Amino acid sequence: MKILLMGHPNVGKSVFFNRLTGAKVLESNYPGTTVDFMKGWMRLEGEDVELIDVPGAFSLEPKDRAEEVAVKMLAENKDSVIVCVLDASKIERGLYLALEIIEKGYPAVVALNMWDVAEDKNIRIDVEKLERILGVPVVPTTAISGEGFKELVSKIKEAAPVKIEKIIESAGGRESAAVS
Amino acid sequence: MKEGEEKFGQIYFAVLGVVALAFGVAELIASAGEGFTWGILDSSGASDPMFLPWKAIILLAAGLFYLSSVNNFAEVHQLAKAVMASIMIWIVAGMAIWARIASSIPGEETWFNNLEGFLASYAPPYCPEMFLLLFSLVIVYYILKEE
Amino acid sequence: MPLSVDARWDLIDKISKQTVEFGARKHTLKDAIAELTVKPLTGIPVAIAVIYGFWSFFCDFAGTLFTDGFMVRLFDEHWLPWLQSVFPGGLKNPFYALMVDAGHIEGGVLVASDNCFEAFGVLTSGFFVVFGVVLWAVLAFYLMFAILEDAGYLPRLAVLVDTVLHKIGLHGYAIVPTFLSLGCNVPGVTATRPLETRKQRFMMMTLLAIFVPCGAQIGIMQDLVPEMMGWIFLTLAIGYLGFGFILNKIVPGKSPELIMDVPPYQMPTLRNIVRKLWIRTSRFLIVAVPFVLLGSIIVGLMYLTGAMDWLAAVLGPLLMGWFGVPSETVAPLIAGFLRKDLAVGILGGLMEQGIMTTFQVFTSVILLCIYFPCLATFALMLKEENGKEILGSLASLVAMVFVYGGLIHLVGIMLGVA
Ligand SMILES: Nc1nc2c(ncn2[C@@H]2O[C@H](COP(=O)(O)OP(=O)(O)O)[C@@H](O)[C@H]2O)c(=O)[nH]1
Ligand SMILES: [Mg+2]
Repeated sequence: MKILLMGHPNVGKSVFFNRLTGAKVLESNYPGTTVDFMKGWMRLEGEDVELIDVPGAFSLEPKDRAEEVAVKMLAENKDSVIVCVLDASKIERGLYLALEIIEKGYPAVVALNMWDVAEDKNIRIDVEKLERILGVPVVPTTAISGEGFKELVSKIKEAAPVKIEKIIESAGGRESAAVS
Repeated sequence: MKEGEEKFGQIYFAVLGVVALAFGVAELIASAGEGFTWGILDSSGASDPMFLPWKAIILLAAGLFYLSSVNNFAEVHQLAKAVMASIMIWIVAGMAIWARIASSIPGEETWFNNLEGFLASYAPPYCPEMFLLLFSLVIVYYILKEE
Repeated sequence: MPLSVDARWDLIDKISKQTVEFGARKHTLKDAIAELTVKPLTGIPVAIAVIYGFWSFFCDFAGTLFTDGFMVRLFDEHWLPWLQSVFPGGLKNPFYALMVDAGHIEGGVLVASDNCFEAFGVLTSGFFVVFGVVLWAVLAFYLMFAILEDAGYLPRLAVLVDTVLHKIGLHGYAIVPTFLSLGCNVPGVTATRPLETRKQRFMMMTLLAIFVPCGAQIGIMQDLVPEMMGWIFLTLAIGYLGFGFILNKIVPGKSPELIMDVPPYQMPTLRNIVRKLWIRTSRFLIVAVPFVLLGSIIVGLMYLTGAMDWLAAVLGPLLMGWFGVPSETVAPLIAGFLRKDLAVGILGGLMEQGIMTTFQVFTSVILLCIYFPCLATFALMLKEENGKEILGSLASLVAMVFVYGGLIHLVGIMLGVA
């Protein structure tokens, strides 16, 4: 099993990576490109699992080199759990990528990072409801202070693939979604 | 925060920041050498040579915090820097006061100090952070205002 | 069939309408201050201020107020003279020497001691170390520690130093056992349990046992050589980081991150603080008191039977040649197996007799820290480690003591102070 950290650029993936992995990390170059990524290990229930800091991507329809690499890495690691790191203060944008990943059938955990920033911008997110709709664990985090990490790690094992139809249904059905 | 209050805070804490910086530099120099006494201001490294350089670093940092808070002072994150600077000064000054309290209670020859000796422990000269402490208390007004 | 781009945006719109709300909340001053404590640029100066407060409180509470203010007078002017007058026997009586005052030679005659550091008796030096010095140091330490812990500052400090500690194969969490060890190494070693791998635990325990002086020891050092404390801590910190780096390279295994829970900041409650203080301090006393008293008895007996002189003669050349300390330091080194605080206390007695140079005092204090963990800590390590690790621990102990002790001597020679 591997864990992939995915999300837009600048949402805090690298801070996540540094906090979650041990002291030994590898920076490598994706074969045939100039795109670098970090690889490390973390401990999950007594097992060593590989953690990859995937280059930032806005969507899975690649528009630049980094996104191409992100899509390739996702495709190469079919058996991995994806930690979708979102900027909680811009949740809609991040959800787009998260939904794409879920649609492809990957088990996912959603980290609502920058929770402190969202709080400061008057943004309130109903985490429980979001979790119910998406059907995957959702955890608010503030990467720089370490808040939420312990919970996030404990939720990784709960990640399971979810059918997109289920999500549409929980969100109120396809028609109404299309109408609104 | 009213505009006048913001303006006042900006000027006040800019000045205090510069003073804190100056004291920090002075203590840094004092920690390297003999220290100095200047009127009722005292920064002699003799009593606690191990703490003096750290004290200097903290005062320098507090000065920088004050100065960086001045721009857009009314905004909460900016104000927080001034509050933090004050808290750092309170820690350092609080410990200086605590050191005096600790040495004022036991007497020279007797178990407990007599009144005279007790009061004498609180006589000047004072170290720089005690002066800063006094002037940093203005921040309390802004804290109350914010809440 | 995958959703079209528009359908996906519609779905997102739907979801966010139900879950996202623009509340009336903005960052309060408290939030903003909390943020300043975790961002590196501002967090590091804040951490320096907090640790500064921690140690100055410690020094003035334990040193100035209790030990120097009251305890020294109590023990030297009342307890010691009283025992000297009422205890049966006299200066040359072995039992009296063991329990009260061994005296010392001055101008060829045996004279009575006038302070509890020099008396070397179980009831005098032993009691003075525990109740005159160490108790207050430990109390002050645990008070500050409990406040930082309950306020929620400790895990944030750990996050703050995480990146730096990664460079030596440790993690931010290492702050917790290290800090705890500064109170007493025993709970410090216990706090290595949450670490994930044997490598991490082995490294952490070894570093703690060697390079982290306990509150008892610090209290006594602060009393004896306050002007050296900065250099002592610097030397130990360099050893801790340097040997951490080396151990991380040579010890096989992985060192994964330990994720700590970071609760929100909160006001510590008095009740909780008092409870923690009581539990930790009483536990400390239960561990420490028997060892200190036993230590005083053993050292006293070794003096009386001549075993100490023999050991000093045997080990003297090694001590003098390699570490540059006089053979008299054998006594504190023996006592150090039992309690480091007692050992530093004995060293204090030697200092008062004026047989050591300043640099020798410094080297001896460092040697006492690093040469062996106290018995209580060692017993705990025996319990926590397996056979191979024990051997590894002992081997690294010996290696570190000789390398580092010799290095300090060498630096002293080069600086012309040894
Ligand atoms: N305020 C705040 N800043 C964060 C948080 N997480 C990350 N950052 C900051 O966001 C910036 C980008 O983080 P980084 O990990 O490099 O993003 P990446 O591009 O996703 O790898 C850095 O300056 C981080 O310090 C958070 O939870 N709160
Ligand atoms: Mg990055």
